[in-house]
Amino acid sequence: MKRFWKTLAAVGLGAIIAWPALAQPARNTITIMREIDADRYDPHRSTALAAGEVLTMLSDTLVSLDFDMRTIRPGLAERWEVTPDGLTYTFHLRQDVTFCDGRPFTAEDMAYSLNRWIGRTTPRVTSPVAWRAGDVKEIRATGPYTLVYELNRPHSELLPNLALFFGSAVDRATVERLGDNFGVQGFNGTGPFCWVSWTPRNELVLQRHPTYRWGPPVLENRGPAHVERIVWRVIPEAAARVAAIQAGQADITQYIPEAFWDALRRVPTIQISNQPEYLWDHYLGFKVDRPVANDIAIRRAFHMAVDRPALVRAVWSGHATPARGIINPRALDHSPEADQLVPPYDPAAARRMLDEAGWRVGPDGIRVKDGQRASLLLYAINTLTNQRMGEIIQQAVRQVGIELRVQLFDATVAWGRLATQEFDALFLSYPYISASDALNLYWHSRSRPTPNRMNWADPQTDAWLEEARSAVDPAVRARATANLQRQLNEASAWMNIAHTQLNVFSHQRVQGARAHGLYGIGIYKGLDLRLR
Amino acid sequence: MLRYAAQRIALALPVLFGVLLIGFLLMQVVPTDPATVRAGPQATQEVIAAIRAELGLDRPLWEQFVLYLGRLAQGDLGVSIINNVPVAQELANTIGPTLELMVAALFWSIPLGILLGTVAAYWRGSLLDRAIMAVSVAGVSIPVFFLGLVLIWVVGFHWQLLPFTGRAGPLWTLEGIRAIILPALTLGGVFVGPVARMTRTAVLDTLSADHVRTARAKGLAEQLVVLRHALRNALIPVVTLIGLQIGFLLGGAVVTETIFSWPGVGRLAVGAITSADFPVAQGTIIVLSAGFILINLAVDLLYAVLDPRVRLS
Amino acid sequence: MSATAAAPGRPSALAMLLRDAAATVALVFVVLVVLAALLAPWIAPRDPYATDLLAIMQPPSAQYWFGTDGQGRDIFSRCLYGLRVTLFMGLASLLAGGALGALVGFTAAFYRRLDGVLMRLMDMLLSFPAILFGLALAAIFGPGLTSVIIALSIATVPLMARIVRGAALVVMGLDYIEAARAIGMGDGRLILRHVAPNCLSPIFVFATLRLGQVILLGSALSFLGLGAQPPTAELGAMAAQGRNFLFIAPHISVIPSLVIFAVVLACNVLGDALRDALDPRLRI
Repeated sequence: MKRFWKTLAAVGLGAIIAWPALAQPARNTITIMREIDADRYDPHRSTALAAGEVLTMLSDTLVSLDFDMRTIRPGLAERWEVTPDGLTYTFHLRQDVTFCDGRPFTAEDMAYSLNRWIGRTTPRVTSPVAWRAGDVKEIRATGPYTLVYELNRPHSELLPNLALFFGSAVDRATVERLGDNFGVQGFNGTGPFCWVSWTPRNELVLQRHPTYRWGPPVLENRGPAHVERIVWRVIPEAAARVAAIQAGQADITQYIPEAFWDALRRVPTIQISNQPEYLWDHYLGFKVDRPVANDIAIRRAFHMAVDRPALVRAVWSGHATPARGIINPRALDHSPEADQLVPPYDPAAARRMLDEAGWRVGPDGIRVKDGQRASLLLYAINTLTNQRMGEIIQQAVRQVGIELRVQLFDATVAWGRLATQEFDALFLSYPYISASDALNLYWHSRSRPTPNRMNWADPQTDAWLEEARSAVDPAVRARATANLQRQLNEASAWMNIAHTQLNVFSHQRVQGARAHGLYGIGIYKGLDLRLR
Repeated sequence: MLRYAAQRIALALPVLFGVLLIGFLLMQVVPTDPATVRAGPQATQEVIAAIRAELGLDRPLWEQFVLYLGRLAQGDLGVSIINNVPVAQELANTIGPTLELMVAALFWSIPLGILLGTVAAYWRGSLLDRAIMAVSVAGVSIPVFFLGLVLIWVVGFHWQLLPFTGRAGPLWTLEGIRAIILPALTLGGVFVGPVARMTRTAVLDTLSADHVRTARAKGLAEQLVVLRHALRNALIPVVTLIGLQIGFLLGGAVVTETIFSWPGVGRLAVGAITSADFPVAQGTIIVLSAGFILINLAVDLLYAVLDPRVRLS
Repeated sequence: MSATAAAPGRPSALAMLLRDAAATVALVFVVLVVLAALLAPWIAPRDPYATDLLAIMQPPSAQYWFGTDGQGRDIFSRCLYGLRVTLFMGLASLLAGGALGALVGFTAAFYRRLDGVLMRLMDMLLSFPAILFGLALAAIFGPGLTSVIIALSIATVPLMARIVRGAALVVMGLDYIEAARAIGMGDGRLILRHVAPNCLSPIFVFATLRLGQVILLGSALSFLGLGAQPPTAELGAMAAQGRNFLFIAPHISVIPSLVIFAVVLACNVLGDALRDALDPRLRI
């Protein structure tokens, strides 16, 4: 018992000593606010935007993507060649790059990082998005600054995928030293900022990488960064974020609910940067092999019961476009005729269809078929948007006799819960660059259980996906993706809800806060940020 | 005095034991096996088995409890499920801000409460007395979050006078002081009422006491009578009652920290519970309880020092 | 919950209460609140869960008395249903904790041998603030209304036990108890017939004041997300959800908070007045 008190005293003493050290004066520091935290900051194990937005600052990728969301620009690779068959890429790396700890960066490091992403290092890391790297034959360093990337089959969108934060360079020694705590208690990358500390659900602090000079050409400043420190602060309350940016207590955020956009537009001290070339969808997915959710009548009834245009107007205050089909009409290879297969809003027709399908209304107003209640359990991350969407959809499907139970989880645990098989439906949202990119992310049977949380497994789908991915001829890819959109819209495997916009809000004292939008990331690298 | 202290401490020990038991049970009733929790989501079966053996999970429950106490005694409160950071370290980072907030709240609310209570008692029955009592009843009835939201809305948003998103620095810097004003006003705001009420009752009691009458009869100045004799004696029960109200303050602190994104133990506890981070939740509950028991103990001993009657009884 | 029931033997108590203007208002308000909560399904103008996507965040108006929330739900109807949940939470924990506490109190007063142990135990329970019970139970059973009710019940037990023990000891010192004992009345009957009825006043005063505190704590836990979960219409949870729109539609969070404030204030004013009326010794 005595020792317990001693420990307690030690903890208390530690608090007092560490306390002043924790609080640094806010000089040349930029505070970026966000709604949720990530579960970890390991580019090869995390797919969350909350991880990605920080990881682009902590490290670099082989190539970068310009603000038009199409043009590939150099990154860690100065230039590259591709063989005519589209199978072998040779990247020539910059020679002046170092990690945060000062160690020079070589092709070996890049090969290690990419191999770690695709699960070819020990201990094996399983990235849910390893498929983005293509069907890799081998990735190897052929010289100190030459990297050869060999594929078994062509990958029509390899370069844009290599610009995503999953392809970030990491330091092998740090990965091995920290083990499971890599990206949790420390990090070592080549980025314009270096890891200082992370307190989950509170803040993550980054410090400028002083010798950084290899920023991508899409930015004005190639390095080092203008600001000394960046603090990523989690502020779950939307109102607090709005007021903080307005009052100048924080500098930048992209997490302002659309309901506040019009009001903030009128505030003279706030600047807004919009990215028109941005694709980010919110959807409701069904586990198509679970009881009740496996009935296409139920899934179609959702589409017919929910007035999606009204829902989107309400939740996004008119600053998002209601979705019809599975792909944004602005995306490459979107198929307009496939969208016609999605049933329109018509609750009366939904009731008729459910009656015909054998779902009879029970005493409590919920339909029953073969002793099975039309009740679905939905899991989602606890965000304001999901709360509001959940409550609105819950009410809408209740009107046609379907019960939707909504369970929201803190972002730190939600990803784990969303990987289980204990729920019937989910809300998620995701970024993409083209129809083929979006469909390949979710619908391949090999992508089960995540990110294919719908458990969709169909050989025809797989064949079309592979055809689209490896197509060298754009027409072939367009045809295959059109087939996929037709098939998935018809099966109503998910209900796409909204195509959202990206706005980055910043206080007027900040310069260079331009919305980028790669994978939904508002501030890319943060090199151009400057305090007036 | 020593005997009283010993008795009082002897009473606190079983309570502390109870807290530790609850902490232990918390780790027992959680849906997942503590070894899995400790090992983290990516651990293999062998690692989990090794941790099971190391934690003694294969032994009887009472023995496990002893082992648990042993680990606690070494400062090992386990490791957060979310970021693998030792719970003790997380706690060390958050205790400071929580204490800071509580002290800042008490710093203004106790003097104000005592002043209001004394004024109300002295002019008992007057309009001033009634107004003060009305305000203090309202004070004990107002939800902490309401007060916080109104302050954010008016002072933080409308007037844009003060920040309200988290701690900006230590108290000796201007930023640190500016950032703590609104949280301290919120937390202290719900504390003024109870203190004023308690002081009023206590001062009324002493004002009618014999020695005060004697002092008055001696012709002492009225100010001196009130300050030296009435208030001074009234402070003894007030100290105890304030000690008892620390629990109330703690509840307010949890809400205040959440509203103002203040990086304290309360916010950590709420976050850990909503994200099912059992080791952290357990750690915060143990620390909050232990802290609370300690404060109670200190208040009781202080009371004994102030009031000789307690020591003798 | 009316004052007449509490003071059968003192016809003057209600009269005294009604002499105090604030207490009268509080009494009327509490009665109205209880009625509103009971009759919510019949008097609520709209379904508290129905979302109207064309009427989002409407400020209070003739059509929507308290306005609508972020999902277009009628806040007035939600407040009525919220009162139901809040009062249920308060009364359930008061009854459960109060009954157990009273049992402990009577036992301690009646069987003096147990007194020391029981009261030591109560002191231990008392040394924890209710919020800690709330946190611990939410951690164990997961956030929810049940956890909150259990936590608040546990926190009420020692308080009630102390009050009841004190009151029972006073009553038992009276002559007629001795007399009843002398004629061989059983302990159980003695407690029920003679001791308990004479302890009602302090119990009632305590219960009224405690109801206010319990409502405050319960709604705070819901506000933190540890109590009633959305979309349940509960006042604390409603205030928490509305907090997101504080600067564009403050009524969403301010109105439920004001309702809590009003109910708790009424409980406290009424409790104070009851104490003054029922127990003249405590009046200053």
